[in-house]
Amino acid sequence: MPIPKVRVLGLGNVLMGDDAVGPWVIEELLANWEFPEGVEVVDVGTPGLDLVPYVADADTILIVDTVRSDGPPGTIRSYSKEQLLARPAQPRLSPHDPGLTEVLFALTLAGAAPRDVVLIGVVPGSVEMGVGLSSAVQEAVPRAAAMAVERLRGLNLAPRRRASPARTAPWWEEPAALAST
Amino acid sequence: MAKRITVDPVTRIEGHLRIDVEVDGGKVQKAWSSGQMFRGIETILLGRDPRDAWLFTQRFCGVCTTVHAIASVRAVENALDLEIPMNAQYIRNLIVAAHAMHDHIVHFYQLSALDWVDVVSALKADPAKTAALAESLSPWPHNNRLELAGVQEKLKSFVDAGQLGIFANGYWGHSAMKLSPEVNLLAVSHYLQALEYQRKVNQVVAILGAKTPNIQNLAVGGVANAINLDNEATLNMNKLYMVKDILDEMGAFIEQVYFVDVCAIAGMYPEWLGYGAGVTNYLAVPDFPLDGKGTKFDMPGGTIFNGDLANVREIKTFNDQYFKENVTESIAHAWYDGDWTKHPYDEDTVPKYTKFDDSKKYSWVKAPRFQGKVMQVGPLAEVLVAYALGHEPTKRWAGKTLATAGAVAKTTLTPAALHSTLGRHAARMIRTAVISELALKHWKLLADNIGKGDTTIFNQPVFPKGEQRGFGFHEAPRGTLSHWVVIENGKIKNYQAVVPSTWNAGPRDEKNQPGPYEASLVGNPVADAERPLEVLRTVHSFDPCLACAIHTLDPEGREIARVKAL
Repeated sequence: MPIPKVRVLGLGNVLMGDDAVGPWVIEELLANWEFPEGVEVVDVGTPGLDLVPYVADADTILIVDTVRSDGPPGTIRSYSKEQLLARPAQPRLSPHDPGLTEVLFALTLAGAAPRDVVLIGVVPGSVEMGVGLSSAVQEAVPRAAAMAVERLRGLNLAPRRRASPARTAPWWEEPAALAST
Repeated sequence: MAKRITVDPVTRIEGHLRIDVEVDGGKVQKAWSSGQMFRGIETILLGRDPRDAWLFTQRFCGVCTTVHAIASVRAVENALDLEIPMNAQYIRNLIVAAHAMHDHIVHFYQLSALDWVDVVSALKADPAKTAALAESLSPWPHNNRLELAGVQEKLKSFVDAGQLGIFANGYWGHSAMKLSPEVNLLAVSHYLQALEYQRKVNQVVAILGAKTPNIQNLAVGGVANAINLDNEATLNMNKLYMVKDILDEMGAFIEQVYFVDVCAIAGMYPEWLGYGAGVTNYLAVPDFPLDGKGTKFDMPGGTIFNGDLANVREIKTFNDQYFKENVTESIAHAWYDGDWTKHPYDEDTVPKYTKFDDSKKYSWVKAPRFQGKVMQVGPLAEVLVAYALGHEPTKRWAGKTLATAGAVAKTTLTPAALHSTLGRHAARMIRTAVISELALKHWKLLADNIGKGDTTIFNQPVFPKGEQRGFGFHEAPRGTLSHWVVIENGKIKNYQAVVPSTWNAGPRDEKNQPGPYEASLVGNPVADAERPLEVLRTVHSFDPCLACAIHTLDPEGREIARVKAL
């Protein structure tokens, strides 16, 4: 049987507070787990249509991103492909605006859409400019990562826990040294 | 009576650009462009190590990641007067070229073609007639009847399933849509092929940059691509030839598809070669450096004022004083504290939001000026400057474009037609074609240099005590990008990015001179105020790209509250 193509993608801007939760979960996964062949785990930033290569021709896409939804910051909700496609994509002016929904529509029309898509959505607190997650969202990072691991187990692509974490903090969390006087 | 139209996607999606126009007598009389989100990301860099700045700057924006990384390392290298090895220069040039081709193709097909193409009309096309038309225009092998019928079938099932949401900004059935069903079908088929080719060319960025978006191979002083032709883990012969094969394929797509489509659309909407000029002062910086210091370039830069190509002035080096000394930004109409016009080294970024008042402050975007003048940047500026300076590939592709579009329109077109809405699309395509040639040239330069036994990729930066200032520019897909850095004792003391869309989307300045978007909309026709397709055509022709920041998904579809900016 061919090895399925599964991609775990973290979306978000690491410079915009809690919007960094997607990239953070990716860092958490890469630091603590080793993934089997067929699974790619990538922090894709805020790619607009540059998401296409990561989504095209995959079997399953697991996306971690912030979502607007009820509940306090740090609440996690999952959405299916059908739920994501239930709303049409929106008109837009700039290339940033087309997001996941539009990429899925375009790839469906092109015949290269992934079979399954799962969105693991985290409700953000502050998305003001600045580096660092709010405590409620920081606390959601291991839970969201565990959900991704669980999904992979369900696909018979369970990752292996590393004996010790491969790194301690993502590069953007390195404290800025105060300008010397 | 004048009617005010506001195109503000903020209520539906996190848009960052708001356009207001006053329409009277079926034409735009006045326009205002407003950036709707605060972008002060530069402040995150203060106190950090200048060698890390590029990692942060490429996160300014999720689409233009590469360009901010390149401008940042160039700025720090400029501050240190640091030359980089030729391999590093060529590898950077190849990444820049691949990124630009990718970005321009996505812009034309995925982001703006639907301003001109009526998707629903394609359902009425006869695939055999479409194929005959296509074969008369281009030798492209994927324009045959069977493939076109397949596309039409797919589109039909999509429309039947009510899934047209993907084309939500398409105003199908609008009176300003003029293409025949056959041309529309051909365009939809190329829309799908472009998805494939934009993926393909992005692989070059991924092979050389280790990852895209957000490349990982840069360093202040060079690149981190170890070169060993026989080693699997490094840049080797196999990877170099993968890059070459992709560049060859891209060349064919650009010449046989993109070039033909732009000429056809320009020829079928000739009136749009008359609208949308606006500001005819142009600024472009040179790029594709041919030496380690940036004193010789394969693509020229310079300035043009009042559309006067005869008096073009060249910007010559990475240390060009004419460029360095003449850039300022004004906050007279932008939501920052004060009312100054300053050089980027001396600016600060202190937000002070008031309400949208088009006679006072109405945008988060500052207004950059060159010698106090409004400048248009972007592919049109780059192509006109290169044309005026006699750049051979640009002149050749521009000539071919004007001749082909002119033949479709049954008229004679001169370079003056490029000062327009469709001229910007044509210039973007001309630039893509030129870059696809330069990419192959720089691939060969890299391969030859490595063949000579040179595997150097990095010169160590050294930060002396005290203060250094540097600027780095890059002719990015949306135009002139410059980063300005002040370093003190090895740490960043000030950082400013003057980005292309700031030049183009900026508001009025202290002299009330409108910015390029604002000026270009004046005189545009608007047939239906409820569906201002013509406004979108002109704004999209600039390839707007403002302050990427937040993009929280909204799967439950509730009304999105306006992001309250400070």
